[in-house]
Amino acid sequence: MSQPTNDVPMVNLTIDGRQVTVPKGTVVWKAAQLAGIEIPIYCYHPKMPPLGACRMCFVEIEKMPKPPQTSCTTEVTEGMVVHTDTELVKKARQGTLEFLLINHPLDCPICDKGGECELQDFTLRYGPGASRFDLKKRHFQKPIPVSENVLLDRERCIACQRCVRFTQDIAREPGLIMEERGFRTMVGVDPNAPFDSIFSGNTVEMCPVGALTAKSYRFMTRPWELRRTPSVCPGCAVGCNVRVDVRVDRVLRLMSRTNDAIDDGWLCDRGRWGYAAVNDPDRLRVPLVRKNGELREVTWDEALDAVAQRLRTLSPAQIGGIGSTHTTNEEAYLFQKILRDGLKTNNIDHFHGVFPAASMNASSGATGAMPWVFTGTIAGLDHAQEIILLGADPYQQQPVLDLRIKKALRNGARLTVISAEPSRIDRIAHRVMRIKSGGEAAIARTLTQVVVAEHLWRGTFAEVNETQLARYGERLKDYTPERIAIAFGLEAEDLRTVARTIAGAHGAVIVYDEMTTRTTGNETLAADVLDLGLLTDNVTQPNAGVGPLFSDANSLGARDMGVLPDVAPGYRALAKPGLDYAAMLGGGVRGLWVMGADPARHMSDPAALAKLETLVVQDMRLTATAQYAHVVLPALSYAEKTGSFTNLERCVQAVRRAMPPLPGARADWEILRAVGNRLGLNWTYRSPSDITKEIATSVPLYADLTREALGSQGQRWNFAGGREADGVLSDGGQLPANGSLPLSH
Amino acid sequence: MAEQMRVVTKDIEIPGIDTLAVYQAHGGYAALRKALAMEPVAVMEEVKISGLRGRGGAGFPTGMKWSFLAKGSSKPTYLACNADESEPGTFKDRMIMERLPHRLVEGVLISAYATGTKTAFIYIRGELKQAARQVGRAIQEAYDAGLAGKNIMGTGIDIDIILHRGAGAYICGEETALMESLEGKRGYPRLKPPFPAAAGIYGGPTVINNCETLSTVPLILANGGAWYAGIGTEKSKGTRIFCVSGHVNKPGNYELPMGTPLRTIIDDYAGGVLGGKRVKAIIPGGSSTPMLDASKLDIPMDYESVAAAGSMLGAAGVIVLDEDTCIVGAVLRMTEFYRDESCGKCTPCREGTYWLVELLERLEHGGGRGSDIALLRDICDNISGKSFCPLGDAATSSIISSIKLFADEYLYHVTQGRCLVGEGARQAIAAH
Repeated sequence: MSQPTNDVPMVNLTIDGRQVTVPKGTVVWKAAQLAGIEIPIYCYHPKMPPLGACRMCFVEIEKMPKPPQTSCTTEVTEGMVVHTDTELVKKARQGTLEFLLINHPLDCPICDKGGECELQDFTLRYGPGASRFDLKKRHFQKPIPVSENVLLDRERCIACQRCVRFTQDIAREPGLIMEERGFRTMVGVDPNAPFDSIFSGNTVEMCPVGALTAKSYRFMTRPWELRRTPSVCPGCAVGCNVRVDVRVDRVLRLMSRTNDAIDDGWLCDRGRWGYAAVNDPDRLRVPLVRKNGELREVTWDEALDAVAQRLRTLSPAQIGGIGSTHTTNEEAYLFQKILRDGLKTNNIDHFHGVFPAASMNASSGATGAMPWVFTGTIAGLDHAQEIILLGADPYQQQPVLDLRIKKALRNGARLTVISAEPSRIDRIAHRVMRIKSGGEAAIARTLTQVVVAEHLWRGTFAEVNETQLARYGERLKDYTPERIAIAFGLEAEDLRTVARTIAGAHGAVIVYDEMTTRTTGNETLAADVLDLGLLTDNVTQPNAGVGPLFSDANSLGARDMGVLPDVAPGYRALAKPGLDYAAMLGGGVRGLWVMGADPARHMSDPAALAKLETLVVQDMRLTATAQYAHVVLPALSYAEKTGSFTNLERCVQAVRRAMPPLPGARADWEILRAVGNRLGLNWTYRSPSDITKEIATSVPLYADLTREALGSQGQRWNFAGGREADGVLSDGGQLPANGSLPLSH
Repeated sequence: MAEQMRVVTKDIEIPGIDTLAVYQAHGGYAALRKALAMEPVAVMEEVKISGLRGRGGAGFPTGMKWSFLAKGSSKPTYLACNADESEPGTFKDRMIMERLPHRLVEGVLISAYATGTKTAFIYIRGELKQAARQVGRAIQEAYDAGLAGKNIMGTGIDIDIILHRGAGAYICGEETALMESLEGKRGYPRLKPPFPAAAGIYGGPTVINNCETLSTVPLILANGGAWYAGIGTEKSKGTRIFCVSGHVNKPGNYELPMGTPLRTIIDDYAGGVLGGKRVKAIIPGGSSTPMLDASKLDIPMDYESVAAAGSMLGAAGVIVLDEDTCIVGAVLRMTEFYRDESCGKCTPCREGTYWLVELLERLEHGGGRGSDIALLRDICDNISGKSFCPLGDAATSSIISSIKLFADEYLYHVTQGRCLVGEGARQAIAAH
């Protein structure tokens, strides 16, 4: 929050004799933290405004009246002299700790927080040795479920209000409230609104004591028994940074690792508690081969031989591969490589949204805006002025982005929701337009039509292409606000207003859900939105951006790695594109290799899979698809392997092995390597890093990628290729030679 | 009985003065008319000259407070009348609102005009139903007569007055908690800065004044600031409504010049101590102000003299305790109030007041220990100056001052297990 920037003046102060320089506006507590000086505190949370309620963070500041002062509410000033260890401060801290403990049960030995409890730790470090409170402590019924997943032990609560402030101010949802007053004050559930937030787990993580606990973690372990590994949440395309806490061979919880650029310190419940799949006792542990119509357990050698033998009997045109949006970049890369190099086929695809043919951008791929990549950044949303959700529901699909949008709203952004279905954020949106499903593309065209008709275009792209705009407007002549307003029951003027705000904003963000493009009518949505962005200069402007919100942890990675029929990794166009997802599943191939996907879910008649001569499936579970397979290979979860994921803004982040692999199962890359060698590819990859190196040298989009470069919080590989390069439109103004432009439809 | 000096309460005895017609017949709203003919800054100047200081307790100069109002804000400015009178021992605002509601309404209108405010809120304590009814009716009458709302008295000036009733929380008398409550939120005090003058109600610059303070303004306008400044003492100008309660023959409100001796107030106005007993202690400014013993009976009741005597004039709620009052019992009762009225936001006040009551209770009922007295003092030290808002400090005043003045009574409770005086003195020693 207080990162030094060029425009914020710095302030010098002294804390306990140490010289500290921090940006103006920093509170004393934060300045001390930056200087490595601990000041105990409870109610303060770096992502929320100071409250000043716990009265724990006392310091003495020279020349300030009425010492001691609370360091969380006092901003630094030039020349300030702060002491954190005077007798006055020590006594005040002891007083507060004694107060906090008069009704706090000393049940640390059975409390899940014991060992990582701020009350325990600070009492040890700063508290009085003994309490003078010799009366009866209060007791409550316990635990009290405040939601499906969160339990409250009321007597442990120290009323710091972190949880209540999170739900009210950060998540902006009803649920938790402060009840009663004075010494009866307690956290409770709003009688008029259940605590059903998808962000509820954050309250557990923020709770400084053991008052709020997760049902899934309660009494499962002592915190010092956990092995903690930094990794990335596999739950969706946001790529929140997590710490995977494992006890022996089970994941027991995911905690936030706070990446300000991505998750801002939050996780959603779906991600936080999604690890059940890793611990699932029904996971596959032994390879299966179909014999006499039934899947039988076999050795790995037998299973791998069967795969190689079955695939060899088919011609390249008869073979297809369906890749995954959940496996790592390294695995996605290797999957397309084995199909292309080993089996000589381009019949490769995965389940994804509808975008302009990837090959269309081939020549400008390394330099132009790709219609399938959000052109802004997640962090840039903080200061966007207008946010348009056009058929996107981040709360359900990319939940932590919902919190980012709410942060933007706190910063003054205006939110417009245009969608077929109601969403939870509608309640706080400035404008909600309900349309028919599949109408999103028409809305985008209408907005563009207004921009062209009213001459609202701006920016280099529009200037360079000004001569073509009239022709483009002509092409959009059917998309008048009046006509579209009638079709959807909207007000034409509202559509005009939205278009004008987009065109006038200092940073407009326009996003749609990847899967919205699959709705009939939205086939051109990606191009339409990019057009709107280009003409209103919202593609490369700071705090602006247009594009899709992907569904899965490595949706964009699968694309980038060329798990597509028409392009090789990095969108190099192929002369002879292969069959796509629908064609392969529609009978286009006789042998299908599925890695980490369950296409049966998308088929009206999954039984058609039974017609395949060969179906090979790599997965953690016996999926609906695997039930039709001839060979099933047990795979590992993200928690058991290393690799990288690419999030929706093309931040590439390291996934690290957090636990020993499930005995009997293998990582997808290991499986691919074994099959590759049986196909005569003579692969010598010893680890995913070897594959990473190959990607870095052979895929321009990921040039120079190394695991070291990813560090602990990932690296954003920009659409211009290479690390953090400038977008092309802001750099010379040449439009992508054959982008998705006006001109493309 | 000696005559009061009626300034704020002028004409209060006149039947029907709570109605617009009678109020106007006695010169009501003439001050408003006079003010509206002046420049707002001139009105403010008049109040500055008067030396009027806030009657809510802190005694901050009113005119200066008005001049602090932030200028050039993008948000509207507001005026708030703090009529959340909840301090034990005070009942002056209630009387003004019930019997002279138009004086308040007129004062609010003049003050709003002086501060350039178009919207004024009157926040009335929830329990004061009759006061809210009376003020509500007075506002309606003022609107109907063109004295409030749009185009007041044909001058083109618009001022709206909105009556808001609290839900019964002492903390909402704290100015920022009042604003939270007014906005429909839980009554927690806000972090300062920003101060209300910069960002108050709905984030707009806000002037907040006590009910008595605002009700004084019409008289200052009518008679001039210099006239008002001629009353009282050099630094504590004007009159004060002393709310006298406790062991006196005639408890009630007495408006007198600042600096009137405490003994005069008790003996000449409040009819002396009940039953002719002696005074043991006086709480001069409401229950949040430190106690004084009988040796201070001759102090003049102005801000400076009371402070010099070791207490505060506060809201001028004079509580008289006679010689048969068990100090521990009285302090317990007051501390229970602060425990129950603590908002619960900050740790020392929330937990400390609870602990204090537990200790006082066991002392009062014979279960106390010798160390409890020192413990009480130390707990008070851990609350005082450490709590978020002044409520925590307030809760400790009676304990600290009473232990200082009446330590023997506490010790008696420890050693004898019962009260030194009063009803409790006759009770058997509690078994423990």
